[in-house]
Amino acid sequence: MKARNNLGRMLLALTITAVFLAGGAGLVSAADKDKIVIGQAISLSGPLAGGVAISGGKIYELWVEEVNKEGGIYVKEYGKKLPVELKRYDDKSDIGTMCNLLEKLIVEDKVDFIFPPWGTAWLFAAAPIANKYKYILIGGPGGALKLKDLSLPYFFQVLNFSETQAPALAKIFKEVGVKSAAVIYRADLHGIEYGNSMVPHLEKEGIKVKLNKSYPPGIKDLSPLLKEAKSLGVDAFVAACYPDGGMLMTSQSIELGINFNAFFMTVLPFSPPLFLGTFGQAAEGVMGGGAWNAKSGPGAKDLVDKFVAKFGEEPDYWGGLYYWASLQHFKQAIEKAGTLDQKKIRDIMATEKFDTALGPYWYDKDRYFVNHPGEIGQWQKRVFEVIDPGEKRTAPPEYPKPEWPKKQ
Amino acid sequence: MFVTILDIIISGLLLGGIYALIAVGLSLQYGVARVLNIAHGEFIMLGAFLTYTLFTGFKINPLISLVITGPAIFVVGFFLYRTLFARLRAVAPTVDAFEGNSMLACFGLLFIIQNVAILIWGAGIKGYSFWAEPVSLAGAKFAANRLITLFVALGICVAFYFFLSHTRLGKAIRASAQDPSTAGLMGVNINHVLALCFGLGSLMAGLGGTLISISYQIQPTMGLEYTVIALIVIVLGGLGSIPGSFIGGLVLGLVGSIVTYIDPGLSLVAYYVIFMLLLLAKPTGILGKS
Amino acid sequence: MSRQISNTHKIVVPIILILVLALLAAAPLFAPRYTIILMISIFMYVIITVSWTMFSGPTGYVSLASAAFFGAGVYTSALFGLKLPLPVIVPLGGLAGFVLALLVGALTLRLKGAYFVMFTFGLVELLLNFLLWWEINITGTTGRVVPPVSNSAVYYTMLGIFVAVVGSSYLINRSRYGLAMRCIGEYEEAAAHTGINVALYKIITFALSAFFMGAAGAIMATRWTYIDPHIAFNPLISFLPVLMAIFGGIGHLVGPIIGATIFTYLEEVLITKFPYYYMLIFGIIMLLAITYLPEGVVGLFQNLYKRLTGEKNGAA
Repeated sequence: MKARNNLGRMLLALTITAVFLAGGAGLVSAADKDKIVIGQAISLSGPLAGGVAISGGKIYELWVEEVNKEGGIYVKEYGKKLPVELKRYDDKSDIGTMCNLLEKLIVEDKVDFIFPPWGTAWLFAAAPIANKYKYILIGGPGGALKLKDLSLPYFFQVLNFSETQAPALAKIFKEVGVKSAAVIYRADLHGIEYGNSMVPHLEKEGIKVKLNKSYPPGIKDLSPLLKEAKSLGVDAFVAACYPDGGMLMTSQSIELGINFNAFFMTVLPFSPPLFLGTFGQAAEGVMGGGAWNAKSGPGAKDLVDKFVAKFGEEPDYWGGLYYWASLQHFKQAIEKAGTLDQKKIRDIMATEKFDTALGPYWYDKDRYFVNHPGEIGQWQKRVFEVIDPGEKRTAPPEYPKPEWPKKQ
Repeated sequence: MFVTILDIIISGLLLGGIYALIAVGLSLQYGVARVLNIAHGEFIMLGAFLTYTLFTGFKINPLISLVITGPAIFVVGFFLYRTLFARLRAVAPTVDAFEGNSMLACFGLLFIIQNVAILIWGAGIKGYSFWAEPVSLAGAKFAANRLITLFVALGICVAFYFFLSHTRLGKAIRASAQDPSTAGLMGVNINHVLALCFGLGSLMAGLGGTLISISYQIQPTMGLEYTVIALIVIVLGGLGSIPGSFIGGLVLGLVGSIVTYIDPGLSLVAYYVIFMLLLLAKPTGILGKS
Repeated sequence: MSRQISNTHKIVVPIILILVLALLAAAPLFAPRYTIILMISIFMYVIITVSWTMFSGPTGYVSLASAAFFGAGVYTSALFGLKLPLPVIVPLGGLAGFVLALLVGALTLRLKGAYFVMFTFGLVELLLNFLLWWEINITGTTGRVVPPVSNSAVYYTMLGIFVAVVGSSYLINRSRYGLAMRCIGEYEEAAAHTGINVALYKIITFALSAFFMGAAGAIMATRWTYIDPHIAFNPLISFLPVLMAIFGGIGHLVGPIIGATIFTYLEEVLITKFPYYYMLIFGIIMLLAITYLPEGVVGLFQNLYKRLTGEKNGAA
C-alpha cells in the first residue's frame, strides 16, 4: 500500500514537473521573418464553443489555408510571400481568460495580427485591448451600435446587426402584408438591442406588436411564449435569440403544431449543418438574420465550394461571406502597405475600397462595413435566399410560410 | 381558463419528470454512497450523446436505445466507484473528509469526461427530431415526444421504487443508506452495494440523458446545469430521501411552469428563491426527517 | 523541537518575506509585461482562496458564495466606475461584499453542513438571475462599461489587497480570535458553552473575508471593461478557490497561497500549450492529486520534512 502511494506521488510530481517544463520551453525564436503569425483567443470549450463551431471559427481556418496555398501574403518589405500561421488559445468561454490570452498573444507571443473572439460582449472586451496595443481588430461574429461610442480607431466592425436588419425585416413584412407580430428576445446584449430596435421599426410600417417579452438565457421551455403568441393571432413571430433558444423555439413550434405566417429568428437559421440538418424539410420558409448565398457576389459560389470541400458542410449564411470578404480586404491592404506595420495597414483599411468575393468592400467613416450582401434570408428549397427589398434580393419572400410538416 | 391551468400543470410535469429522474439518480449517489457527484450532469450528457449517435448513425429508436445507454453508463459508474471512490473511502479519516475528497474527484471527472466528449463529438450543438408532433389533451396541445418522455421517466421511477421495496438487493441498499456499518454486520457486502448504488445513479443519469436528447438539443457542456437542477431537487425533497427527490423534481417542474407563465424572465430567479427560502424554513426538505 | 530551530525560524522567515515582497513590488519595473498580467490573475485567485480559507478553514463551513461577494465588487465598479475615482471604488467594492456577507451570515445562522453549502451556492445564481432581470426590465441597460486602468495600477492594487488579506489571516490565526474560530469549527455547541459569541464571530469573519473578495472584484472589473451579470457573477469563482485550498492544504496559512498559485499557473500553461486537451490533463492531475495527496501540497511537504528530520529523532 505504501509503495503504491509513493509510486502515485512520484507519478503526480513527475506529471506536474513535466507540464511546468513544457510551459517554460516555449521560448520564441524569431530570428529571420519567415511567416505571419495571427493570434486568436477563442472558445474551444465551454458553453460558447458550440456557437463558435457553427459560425465564424471555420471561415478563418479556411482563409489561412487558401492564402497558404498561394504561398502566403506578399509583403514588399521582405521581398517575398510570407505564409500565415493561425495561433489559437482556448478561453474556455470565459471572458476574463479571453482578455488575458489576447494580451498574452500580443505582448508575449508578439503575434503579427489578431483575429476576433466570438460574440458581441466579447468584442466589447477585446476591442479596447487591441486598441491599447495598436493592433488591428477586424470584428467577427457580433456587433452593436454601442461600439461606436467607444471610438476605437483600430477596431473595424464587419457584421451587420439590428441597425440595418430591423428596418429591412419591417419592410419585408409590410410588403407581404403582415398586420401583427410578436417579438420575443433573449435577455442579453444581443437580444435587447434587437428587441428594442425591431419593435419601433415594425410599428413604423404599421404593424401591430401584440407581444413584447424577454426570456432568460437558460430557459428550458418556451412553449408558454409560443402559445401566447398563437392565441393573440399574430401573423409574424419574431425572435432575437442565440442557437440554444432558436433550436428550442423551432422544435417546440413543430412538436406543438404552432404555425405562424412568418417565422423569423436572428441567430440559427443561417446554419446549414445545425438548422437545415436538424429540421430538414421543416426549415422551408423560415426567415433568419443574414444574409448571403452562392449568388451574392462574384466570389460567393467559390467560397461555398471551397468550404464544402474542406469541411463537408455548407458555410454559415449570415456572417460567412462577410468575414471572408473582410479577410480578403485585409490581405489586399497588407499587400498595398507593403509592410506589416499595423498603423500603415490600418490607415489603408480605413480609407480604401477593394474588390472581394461579395463585390466592392470598404468601411465607412466610423469603420463600419456597409456594403452588406443582404440583411434577411429565407430558406427556400434548401437555398438561403436573400429577401431584402431592393437590388440585393435573390428571390422574393415566400409568404405565408408553409405549415410545419406533420410527420418527422 | 381550465385549459390554461391544465396546460401549465402538464407542462410543469413534462419538465418535472426528467428532473425527478436525474434527481433520484443523484440521491442514490449522495444519499447512499455519500458521493456528491458534481459530474452527474456529465453522465447525463454521455447518455444524450450516445443516443444521438445511435439514432443518427444507426437509426436506432431513442426509446429502444434506453436499454443500451442505461447499462453502458451503469458500467462506467460502477467501474469508477470500484476503482476511484472505493479507494478514497478506504483512506479517508472521516466521512466528511471522504465527502470533500470525492467531490473534488468528481470535479476532476467532470473535466475529463467533458474533454473526451468534445474530442469524440466536437464542441458544437447537436440535435435530432423524433416524434415532434402535437397531441391534444383536453383542448391543450402538447408535444408527443415530451409526453412519451414523461411516461418513461415516471415508469423508470416507479420500477425503481418497486425494486427498492420488494427485492433483497433493494433492502440491502436501504439498509446501507440508513447505517452502513450495521448493514455490513448484517451480512451486506457494503462495497458491492455502494458501487451498485453509484452505478444505478449513473444509469439513471444516462437514461435521463437519452430522454432529454429526444426533446432538446445537446452539447458537451450541457451537463453542469442539470447537475445544478438535480442538486436543487435533492435538497428540495430532502437529502437522502429518494421518494423526496422524486416529488421534489415534479414540484420544481411545476413551479417553473407557473412562473414562466407569469414572466419567463423570472423563472430561474424563482427556482433559486424557492430553493433558498426552503433552506431557511425547512432545510430537511419536503420529505426529509426534521 | 530544539530551540535553535525555532530561533533561526524567527529571523530567517521574516527576512525571506521582506525579500519576496520587495521582489513583487519591483516586478513591474523589470519583469516581462505578460508576467505582470499573469501575476494579476494569480493574485486574484490567491486573494479569493485565502479569504475563503479565513472563514471556511477553521469553521469547516464550506462557503460557495465567493462568487457573490467578488461579483458584488465587480458590479460596484460597473455602477460607479465612470463616476468615482479608483481609490474610492476598490474599498467601496470591498464594502459591498462586506455588507452582503453580513446579510447572508445573519440569514444562515442556523444552517449547517451541506445546507450551508447549498444556500451559498444558490445565492450566486440568485443574484445573477435577479440582476439580469432587473437590468432588462427596470433599468433597461444592456451591460455596463468600466473605464480601463493601466496594468501597473491593477497589479499594485492587487498586491496591496494580497498583503492585506494574508496579513489579516496571519494575525487572526495567531490571536485568541482565531482560537475561538477553531473552537467553533471543532465543536460549535461546546464553543458556545464556553462563552464564545458564536453567531457574532461567524458573521464578522464571514464579512471580513467577503471584504477582500469584493475589493479584488472591484479592481478586476477594470480589466474586463464590459460587465454584465453573467460576467460579474461567475460560479467558477466559487468552486475553484475551494479546490485550490484543498489542493494546497487547508491546515496551514501557506496552503491556499501555494494551491492557488500552482493551480492558476498550471491552468495557464495547459491552456496555452495544449488547447485541445487541457481539460483532460487538468482533470487527470486533479484525480491523481486527490488520490495520492489527500493533505494537499503543503501536506506533502510536511510529510517530506518529517521524513527528513523526524525519523532521525525517533517516531514521527
